[in-house]
Amino acid sequence: MTQSEPCAGQTPARLRRRLKTTTIMPIVATIVVIGIFQILNPSFLSYQGIVTIVYAMSYFLIAACGLTLVIMMGSFDFSVVSVMKLSALLCVLYIEKIGLLVIPLALAVSAAIGFLNGVLFAKLKVPSFMATLGISVVLDGISLLSSRGFLHLLEHERFRSLSVTFIAGLPSIFYWALAIWLLCTVLSATTPFGRRVFAIGGNPRAAALSSINVDRHRIIVFVLSSFLAGLAGVLYVSQQGGWSMEIGGQMMIPLFASVVAGGTSLRGGIGGPQRTLLGVIIITWIQSGLLMMGLGREIQSVILGVIAIIMAVATTERGKLTPQMVK
Amino acid sequence: MNNTTKHKTGLRGAWEATKNYPVIFIVVGLVAIFSALYTKRFLSPVNFTATLRQFVTLMLFSLGPSIVMLLGSMDLSFIGVWMLGSVLLWILTPVIGPPALLVFPLLGLATGFIAGVVHTKGRIPSFILTLAILITYWGLTVVLSGGYPRPVKGFGWITASVLPRVPTPFLWSIPIIVAAIIVVLRTRLGTYFWAIGSNEEGTRLAGIDVDRYKIIAFTLSGTFTGIGSIILFAHLGGSAPVEFNMNNVVRPLVAIILGGTPLVGGSGGPHRTILGVLTFSILYRGLHLSPLRPEVIDLVVGIVLILSIIISSKGTRMKGVDIT
Repeated sequence: MTQSEPCAGQTPARLRRRLKTTTIMPIVATIVVIGIFQILNPSFLSYQGIVTIVYAMSYFLIAACGLTLVIMMGSFDFSVVSVMKLSALLCVLYIEKIGLLVIPLALAVSAAIGFLNGVLFAKLKVPSFMATLGISVVLDGISLLSSRGFLHLLEHERFRSLSVTFIAGLPSIFYWALAIWLLCTVLSATTPFGRRVFAIGGNPRAAALSSINVDRHRIIVFVLSSFLAGLAGVLYVSQQGGWSMEIGGQMMIPLFASVVAGGTSLRGGIGGPQRTLLGVIIITWIQSGLLMMGLGREIQSVILGVIAIIMAVATTERGKLTPQMVK
Repeated sequence: MNNTTKHKTGLRGAWEATKNYPVIFIVVGLVAIFSALYTKRFLSPVNFTATLRQFVTLMLFSLGPSIVMLLGSMDLSFIGVWMLGSVLLWILTPVIGPPALLVFPLLGLATGFIAGVVHTKGRIPSFILTLAILITYWGLTVVLSGGYPRPVKGFGWITASVLPRVPTPFLWSIPIIVAAIIVVLRTRLGTYFWAIGSNEEGTRLAGIDVDRYKIIAFTLSGTFTGIGSIILFAHLGGSAPVEFNMNNVVRPLVAIILGGTPLVGGSGGPHRTILGVLTFSILYRGLHLSPLRPEVIDLVVGIVLILSIIISSKGTRMKGVDIT
């Protein structure tokens, strides 16, 4: 692969400023957050505490990687949580009938939903957040209808072992998440595909003029995002061993907060999955820390909502010569 | 029923009106279908009242957002204003009595202003900003109310019956709707909103302070939502709600888009939303009378949303506007 500098002519001063705001800040935030909760609750960094956080973090990281790819491209995918819910439900409902074949089925359905999102957005020119919002309403309806709102339990040893086998002291879902994260990082940082996605995020019209097939890349990224959300759902249900309508809950804001807290700009073209890892650590650490302090989901949503807004403002690069329109 | 009023201005006027508002056909079609299917129940006075009640709820929720959507932005925080306002009312009523109702417009005004400032100065997309505000307000509501619905006494006069068969909140909502329509159709503000929606860059180059008018639009949206919430609070049970339901957020959006305000902005407005809300209310009541289960109705609403956004973005495909 040829090594060409994508942003040639970048001055060192500008590079330094960018490093300062978007790379150092998440690292500092991570250390501060871990430090605060360590002081408040000294038993947090024990082995048991780490395992709890790894469980809370792994499926979350997979879904966040998919969302990062979409946000990097300047769009938004609202349906991540609903796709996760649906693919988890498919696993629970059909595992008795077709065994482990249920995994490819769930992933294929997720990818198909992603394709639908992509077509709605790229070909039919529906703004992405609205298209995916509509799809997510329909998916939630389907989930509610086919589960009849009941709690479903899953007792399939081989399927459960996908996530809960301990290797070197940590559950296997952690290694899945790590592998997916590495793959996404490689995909976005080193391949021509990743570079083109960045280009579309920076300026879709310029990307189209430099003969990038914008529509195709948009569809592919939405398929990837939904596929990863489906994978997160499969691994989540094999970790939890049960399904209820509540899973995912208000997960959209934490997911979004972790992507922007990592340093991926909502405007597109800046960031990438490598940064999302830190964001996910920050957000899940805050969530687990608040939970251990006995604070419920509601106060979490207050804190995370405010963090999400602050982070989104902080990671937006200002001072460009031609201000882009923000709707 | 809309056609009968239009006929007075002559056949030609009626044709013009239907051409500009194609959703009238859908309204007439839906009324015809449901009247044929469930003649007794659909045309009953009970159903008329129920449809009006549905109309008020949706209309007051979608009034503010339809002003913001005129600019091509999005305001999802309306449910949050209603929820947090109700719980603040529950806290404040024992302290300061009936003037506590002012908490709704004030909260709406503050929310809209903050959303507008953060959106324009922080340059972050409005839908995600207002979504974060919505979730934050929901959390605050639950924290403040302790997780239980809190009934508030003393505001029964808002819903006290005046005319038979017509819910009083409907009468209350008329001046609010008229005020919103006047702002958009008859003031300079409305003209600027339209200009920003159809070509933001062009408006900026024409020397109009786009950021300022965006902030005004968000503030107006919040204020109208706040004023509407006074009525909605009494209309929807007179207690501080704690259950958050995404459907409440989605349905007003469906109504706005059905009415003909496209997602990229630049045309439409509150006067069109009236038709959209009417369509949605009739559809919803009709589905409600049918033997479909509530979950299926939710599904149908989602499908209607997708179909209507596909149709409403036809203009975007032709104009070649950048979308994200």
